[in-house]
Amino acid sequence: MKVTFPHLGTMHIFCKAIAETSGIPYIVPPETSRKTLTLGVQHSNECICLPFKIILGNFIEALKMGADTIVMVGSGPPCRLGLYDLVQKVILEDMGLHFRWLTIPPRLTWQTLWKNYEETKELKKELSWKNILLFPYALRMGWQKMMACEALEKMAMHVRPREVQQGETQKRLKKALSGVDEARTLRTLNDALQRGKALLQETEQDFSRSPLKIAIVGELYTVMDPNINRGVEQKLGELGAEVTRTSWFSTHILRSLRKNKGDLASERVRFFEASKAYLGYDVGAECNLSVGEAIVRSKEGYDGVVHLMPFACMPETTASGILTRVGKDWDIPILTLILDEQEIEGRIQTLLEAFVEMLQWKRKAA
Amino acid sequence: MEEKGRIGIPRALMFYRYFPLWKVFFEELGWRVIVSDGMGKRGKLIYFEDSCLPMKLLITHSMDLKEKVDFLFVPRIVSLHRHFIMCPKFRGAPDIVRLATEGTVSILDETIDHRTKKDSMLRSFLKTGRQLGADEKEGKRAFQKAEQFLYHFQKGWEDRINRLPLNQLFQIDVPVPEEKKERPLRVAFVGHPYNLFDTDVNKDILSSARSLGMRIVTPEGLSENEISAQVSDLSKEIYWSSGREIVGSLFHFLSGGVDGVVFLTSFKCGIDALLQEFIKRRLKVRGGASIPFLVLTLDEHSGREGLTTRLEAFKDVMEERKSNSRIVT
Repeated sequence: MKVTFPHLGTMHIFCKAIAETSGIPYIVPPETSRKTLTLGVQHSNECICLPFKIILGNFIEALKMGADTIVMVGSGPPCRLGLYDLVQKVILEDMGLHFRWLTIPPRLTWQTLWKNYEETKELKKELSWKNILLFPYALRMGWQKMMACEALEKMAMHVRPREVQQGETQKRLKKALSGVDEARTLRTLNDALQRGKALLQETEQDFSRSPLKIAIVGELYTVMDPNINRGVEQKLGELGAEVTRTSWFSTHILRSLRKNKGDLASERVRFFEASKAYLGYDVGAECNLSVGEAIVRSKEGYDGVVHLMPFACMPETTASGILTRVGKDWDIPILTLILDEQEIEGRIQTLLEAFVEMLQWKRKAA
Repeated sequence: MEEKGRIGIPRALMFYRYFPLWKVFFEELGWRVIVSDGMGKRGKLIYFEDSCLPMKLLITHSMDLKEKVDFLFVPRIVSLHRHFIMCPKFRGAPDIVRLATEGTVSILDETIDHRTKKDSMLRSFLKTGRQLGADEKEGKRAFQKAEQFLYHFQKGWEDRINRLPLNQLFQIDVPVPEEKKERPLRVAFVGHPYNLFDTDVNKDILSSARSLGMRIVTPEGLSENEISAQVSDLSKEIYWSSGREIVGSLFHFLSGGVDGVVFLTSFKCGIDALLQEFIKRRLKVRGGASIPFLVLTLDEHSGREGLTTRLEAFKDVMEERKSNSRIVT
């Protein structure tokens, strides 16, 4: 048995940690590349959203490398993410690839347990007691690694606009993340995190700058994965803007476990409440939050908002229509970037440069 | 009865399934119903958001009505089934219309959600009635009458789509003429009702099909049981009711009873894009489907000539198959 999982931001780091710690053999799909995307596009319909194509590409590459068990997170209505597994299974089957599929249900119900039962029964035969006993520890390890990655990324977002040597932060972040990746125990993980933090902190910085403040909102997959959004976060940072986002693995996992108490919950509630001026109903996925966050950020004095969405994403299309009005009403520039498989890295760079320049002019004029 | 005012109904989205009910309900309450004109021959589409064509048409039709009416009726249809939901874009539709019309007209946008209450449709219409100054008793009576009317209307549906000119499909008082000529091919047209029956979306493809000698069958005539029999063995439930209906009816028709199946879909329709891939692949994996199957993707740029050409080719395929099977038997 060889387990595999899709790429999404730093997800491979902690998924790998879970498999490794519990002693389950795994294969990390090759980093999402042009080839991955081409594979995904070739085997799907043009109007299916970009995450579908990329995840499919990851799976095809991993299965060809010898993986035989796919682990994928599930989701519920109304967004298409909830039916990815139904369609991807048939596509892979049609391609003549052999695999087993395990969906991690978004909420534990009897129905999802029953649907997973057949697959789990098979898997159980191949897992040793050692694997199962180590699993809780492995989960903890994975969680800690995830939190470490997020802490480092958040720090990098803060350091990047102040760096003296452009691109320095990104290099250091990569090094810090691979340190986290290599840690084997909780103690070495903690060391790696501290070392990584120090590494980022030591970047030569110009503290006299007052960077622009930009919030990234939108569909979570495009917001979280730099390979999909062509490094929007890094590009904005290097153009001299301090970027914030509220989509993190921890927020989404805690939300689906219904364990989001305190600040986290109140933040989402705050965004949702703000969106009510424009949307009379929960459209689903991140739509209302995208709208709400833009409004809240405007009140908080942010300079601009970048809205990311895959081409033909159902909830975000509604959001983008409303956001044009929000931008006018609240006097906050909003840049919507619609992402698909086209090679548009250069165009995104130009768009972002123009956007940042415009924000700087706006700030000067105020 | 004295006319209380005008209610505008955009000729878009679920208009193509529920218009008879809506019309009777409002007329029973003493309001005059005005339906938008459609794009016409030189009609211009309003691009308010970058969505699918049916959604753009909703905006265009609403804008057409905004100065002519007192109220615009754009219900927020979240779910029409106990377990299944509608497209997420429907949830935001009234809000988008409100932004596009810039508050120049009041919008009746009560929520219909059958997941919460079984009689959610009735409740929603009672609320709408109350906004229009009707009490509960009047509302209930009007709704019952409207529901019954819709029931009878749907019964005669297959005759309507085969005998009436398509732009008169929803002109309720037009009588259905007698069948004039024999049509040898039975073809199922599957898709969202607003793709099937909106001539602005499908460039009047059903008329072309009829003139090519096809008798049209639509999923409207299928029962819930026939659909769920086809989709109950999937590894995951399809949670959009329209998507489920499309997959179920496609598999139903492809398993026999018709000479060909045409699937009409809008470009950028999220549900159709995903399920279309599923259907194609599943047919390939399972095999066995020998009935000709045509997928037509529509948007505002598709021309009638192109569609007709493809339909003619499809007709040849169907006839070929028919004559071949006759030789075999």
